[in-house]
Amino acid sequence: MSQPRSSYAVGTGLFIVLGFAALAYLATQTSSVANVRQGDSYVVEAQFTNIGQLKERAPVKVAGVRVGQVQSIALKPGSDVADVKLSIEKAYDRIPQDSVATIFTSGLLGDQYVGIEYGSAKQAVAAGGLLARTRSTQPLEEMLGKFFGAGGVVDNVGGSYAVKASFTNVGTLSAGAPVKMAGVVIGSVQSVHADPVKLNADVVLSIDKRYDAIPDDSSAAVFTSGLIGSQYVAIQPGGSSDALKDGDEMILTQSALQLEDLIGKFLVNGSPSEKKDAGNGSK
Amino acid sequence: MNARTPQHDNVVSQALTQIGNCGLFLLTLLAAVPRSFRYLRETTRQLWFVGAMSLTIIMVCGLFVGMVLMLQLYHVLSIFGGTSASGMVVALSVYRELGPVVTALLFAGRAGTAVTAEIGLMRATDQISAMEMMAVDPVAYVATPRFLAGLIAMPLLCCVFCAMAIFGGHLVGVTWLGIDNGTFWSNMTAQVDIHTDIVNGVLLKSLAFGAVVSLIAVFQGFTTPPTSEGVAYATTRTVVASSIAILALDFVLTAFLM
Repeated sequence: MSQPRSSYAVGTGLFIVLGFAALAYLATQTSSVANVRQGDSYVVEAQFTNIGQLKERAPVKVAGVRVGQVQSIALKPGSDVADVKLSIEKAYDRIPQDSVATIFTSGLLGDQYVGIEYGSAKQAVAAGGLLARTRSTQPLEEMLGKFFGAGGVVDNVGGSYAVKASFTNVGTLSAGAPVKMAGVVIGSVQSVHADPVKLNADVVLSIDKRYDAIPDDSSAAVFTSGLIGSQYVAIQPGGSSDALKDGDEMILTQSALQLEDLIGKFLVNGSPSEKKDAGNGSK
Repeated sequence: MNARTPQHDNVVSQALTQIGNCGLFLLTLLAAVPRSFRYLRETTRQLWFVGAMSLTIIMVCGLFVGMVLMLQLYHVLSIFGGTSASGMVVALSVYRELGPVVTALLFAGRAGTAVTAEIGLMRATDQISAMEMMAVDPVAYVATPRFLAGLIAMPLLCCVFCAMAIFGGHLVGVTWLGIDNGTFWSNMTAQVDIHTDIVNGVLLKSLAFGAVVSLIAVFQGFTTPPTSEGVAYATTRTVVASSIAILALDFVLTAFLM
C-alpha cells in the first residue's frame, strides 16, 4: 500500500478505462450497432425461388426504412425454393397478409435486401406466418440480358456436338462462356486456342444436340453481355438448308468488338482504325 | 524449463526444440495462473508497465496510420469518384488488419523487449535463483503476471489504436480533404459490422497476438543464457520471433474468421 504502488494502480485503472472507452467508441460510433440490436421481434416466413446474394442479417425494409433483418436462409426440405425467415420488429406488426416480399439490390452493385410492399388486406400477417407473395431476385445478367438480347441458363441434357469457328479477335472470351442463339443459351465454348499458322483464334463450340438444325451458313459473333458483362458467342442463323454437323467449321464469323472502338465510333463518328471483321473467317 | 537444451547443429531441429520448449512453458505458465493470483498487485504493476506506458506510442502511431491511409485511399478512390467510401475503407482495413497487427508489432517492440530484458537480467543476476531459495515460485511471481498483463493490455491498446486511426482518418478526410462529415460516418456505420469487424477483428485478433507476444517475451527472458550477451540475443529473438508469429498467425486467423 505504499505510495508508488497505488499510483501504479491508479494509472493502470485509467488505462483500462481508456481502453474500454475506445472500445465503446468503436462499437457505437463507427459500427452498425442498430443493425445488430434485436429488440422485440417476430418472425415471418417467405419463400423465394432465387435469393441471389441475400445473406443472413441483411436488412428488411418497408418503403426503404429498416424494419428488421433476415434471420435465416435455408432450402425448404424436399423442394427447390429457399425458405427465408424474416425477423421483424414488434413495432411494425401491421403488415398486411397479402404484402409482397421482394429481394432488391441497393444500387447497381450493392448488397441485397428484402423489401416488403404493403398489400391491401385487412388482416395482418401473424408471427410465424407466411408471406405468400414473393418476388425473387433479378440477376443483373438477366436484367441486362433483357436489354441486350442475351440471358438464360445453360442446360446440357441431350449431349452435345462440336463446331469450330475462327475469329481474328475473341476479346476476353474463355472456355465455358455461353453460346447463344436468339438470346437463348444453346451450348458453351469448349476451348479457345490460337492457331499457330493462320494466326487467329480457333474456338470450339459445344452445342446441345437438341439444336441440330442450325443452317451451316450461320455466322458466329463474339458479343459482350451488357457494359461490364462477360463475353459470349452468338450464332445468327443463315438460310442454308443443310444443318451444321459435328466437326463442321463455321465460315462467317464476327470478332469481338472492343468497347473502346465502339465508343470511339460514337465520339469520332467513325474511328480511324475501322476494320471490318465480318466474313473474314478462313477455310 | 531450466534444463539446458541439448546442442544441435541443425537449424531446423534447433527451431523445433525452441517451439517445443515454448509450448511446454505455456503449460507451466497456465498451471501457475491460480498461484499468481496471490501476486495480483504485481500483475497490476505489469499492466501499468506494458499497457499504460505503451499508450503514447500506440496513440501516435494509430493517428498517423489513420491519416496516411486516408490520404492514400482518397487519391485512389478519387479516380473512381468514390471518395465518400474512403472513411469506410479506412475503418474496415484498420479494424480487420492494420489495427491488431501494427499494435502487436509495436507492442512486441515496446513491451516485449523490455520484459525479456528484465527477466533475462533477473536470471543473469541470480534474482530468479534467490526467489527459489525463498520458496517464491518465480513462474508465478515473475512470468505469469507479465503474461497476463500482456494478454489484458493488447486488446485495450488495439482499441485505442483503432479509435486514434479513425480520428486521424477523420482529421485528414473531413477536415483537410473535404469529405462530407455525414457521409463519412454514415458510410462507416453502414458497413462496419460489430461482430465480424470489431469482435472478430479488433478483439479476438489482438487477444491472440497479445498471448503470442507475451509468451515469446517471457519465454525468451526465462531461457536466456545468464550473460549480458545472452540477454542481448534474447531481446533480439523476442522481436524477430514475435514479428514472424504475429504475421503468420494473422494469416491463419483471417482465413478462419473471414
